[in-house]
Amino acid sequence: ASRHGGVVRPEPGTGIKIHFNDSKGNLIKTVEANEGDDILGIAHEYDIDLEGACEGSVACSTCHVILPQEYYDILPEPEDDENDMLDMAFGLTDTSRLGCQVKLTKELDGMTATLPSATRNMFVDGKKPTHH
Amino acid sequence: MKLAVIGGGPSAFYAASRILSLLPKQSVNIHIYDRLWAPHGLVRYGVAPDHPEVKNCVHKFDEVAMDPRLRFFGNVEISAGRPSGMIPHNMHLPMSSILSNYTHLLFASGCTLPTLHPALPPSSYCMPALSLVHWYTQYPSLPPSPPLEDVSHVSIIGAGNVSLDVARMLLCPPSHLDPYDVPQPVMSLLTRSAVKHVSIIARRGPLEAAFTTKELRELMSLPNASMQPLDPALFEPLQYMKLSRQQTRMMDVLKKGSKSPWGSTPRTWSLDFFRAPTGLALPPSESTRRTPAELTLAHTKLIPDPEQPSIMRAASTGETSRLSTSLVVTSLGFRADPTPFPGLYDPASAHLRVNAGRIVTASGKAFKNVYSSGWAAMGARGVLAATMMDAYAVAEVIVSDLMGSVGDVKTTAVTPDTKLGDAAEMREEVWNLNEKPVDMKQPPEEVLQGLAENKIITYADWKKIDAEEVKKGKALGKERERMTWDEVNYMLKT
Repeated sequence: ASRHGGVVRPEPGTGIKIHFNDSKGNLIKTVEANEGDDILGIAHEYDIDLEGACEGSVACSTCHVILPQEYYDILPEPEDDENDMLDMAFGLTDTSRLGCQVKLTKELDGMTATLPSATRNMFVDGKKPTHH
Repeated sequence: MKLAVIGGGPSAFYAASRILSLLPKQSVNIHIYDRLWAPHGLVRYGVAPDHPEVKNCVHKFDEVAMDPRLRFFGNVEISAGRPSGMIPHNMHLPMSSILSNYTHLLFASGCTLPTLHPALPPSSYCMPALSLVHWYTQYPSLPPSPPLEDVSHVSIIGAGNVSLDVARMLLCPPSHLDPYDVPQPVMSLLTRSAVKHVSIIARRGPLEAAFTTKELRELMSLPNASMQPLDPALFEPLQYMKLSRQQTRMMDVLKKGSKSPWGSTPRTWSLDFFRAPTGLALPPSESTRRTPAELTLAHTKLIPDPEQPSIMRAASTGETSRLSTSLVVTSLGFRADPTPFPGLYDPASAHLRVNAGRIVTASGKAFKNVYSSGWAAMGARGVLAATMMDAYAVAEVIVSDLMGSVGDVKTTAVTPDTKLGDAAEMREEVWNLNEKPVDMKQPPEEVLQGLAENKIITYADWKKIDAEEVKKGKALGKERERMTWDEVNYMLKT
């Protein structure tokens, strides 16, 4: 599915509220979207720096986000294909999901999606990927 | 800044994308060079044809290429030493032309050479996996096709994702590949292939294998090929170990085995763990038919590395066995090519000498305004996401050096006072880029000449070729039908 223009902005105050935080926990932006919209599409609509190299087809891990435990538990379990991609994600946690696979429901109103560690930490931590 | 990028694969485009977005108003110019006439590197010439979603990243590259500050020059090989000469119709551009025409340099040249096995030299019975990948992607060096009509048993040496991709291409029903980007001559040979069994031979055990769960799952799901069940003893030691999430999921897939029961399918495959090849005895050449060769294998066990006990190494048990096989494919990773830039190559790591995005000398001194990203800098490890992250990090170093900082992060810029690389440490000239080139927009004179003579492919040219390949593919009911250099030339001239 195309990631461009897939999300329609609801009337302010009527939509499902999502907070996007950076890796340090600082708020980037609070946005609103509709039921069924996915986190990656929402991020792109509101110019939040969440990459989606494979454009939502579960073929990469670049839209990896970290969710709070209580919201992670509400969501349906990831399928094998999503888990396979999450296995490769940088900074994977127990409450990580691929943003393109998290679809909004009213129960997720007020959820925070945290972007994983910034890229420049790769040089600081000296992290080298191990699979190819 | 006038930046020359050597290599036009994902790290080049991601780095360019980040630089341009960090400097939206500034007059910077980025010229990406590739010896292949098509951009995008491994995305076009490495990703398996039945993984088209991975290639969606090119849409972002297309967007970046629309910025007038970015230009692409394909079919150009740049070298300081000898050119690799891998693609006969390349236009050669000496490094001196780059140094006098650009203020900044980024090596995004990848790891283009296959790592070979010392006991298995290339022959008519032994080829690197890269040659097969180049064959099925119609890489411009046009390697010969493998003798699949005369081969029933294939041995792949190495347990990474390239091994699994090659196995899947050889085992899957050809009809599975019909809708994808597989050139017609390749499809034709795959349809006539006599391959019955593929052995994937790994020196160590399942925990040490470099392949990932997704690719393993795909092989297990093939409808026409079943896997020889693994010896349960392989999994016994693992019960006592604390496995990571990734390892646990992988072991579950291995234990479960293939969807089709063993022996119920026309094709079969096996994962032969704890086997290290020691030699390949070729049959006498008097035989007119292609008779099998004999691969000798040493049996191995794991012992901790004496210097890094958390890493398990393979040690011989003394036992050996032989495997009758008609084609050996070595799939042991890749290394950077030292030939075009001999002074920059680090034999110990098999990639360029890089520290936090900067090219450095053997003693660690950085060169002003000379950088490297992607596999050229990191070694041949990591999928697209890892390369993207590295390219973004290097882009931020470049912009930080240029502007003093990036956001709130200050990186250590190389100032004029920093000790630059000692010429004696390098085997050729020191990288003295031109601080004030005559023209900040135009490429070197030879490139303008090459463009006029239709020897160089621009991004606009590529988009025309891209559209034509998709059009040809549509007529055949597939994603695209690739064009050769001759066809490309003919199309662009008319």
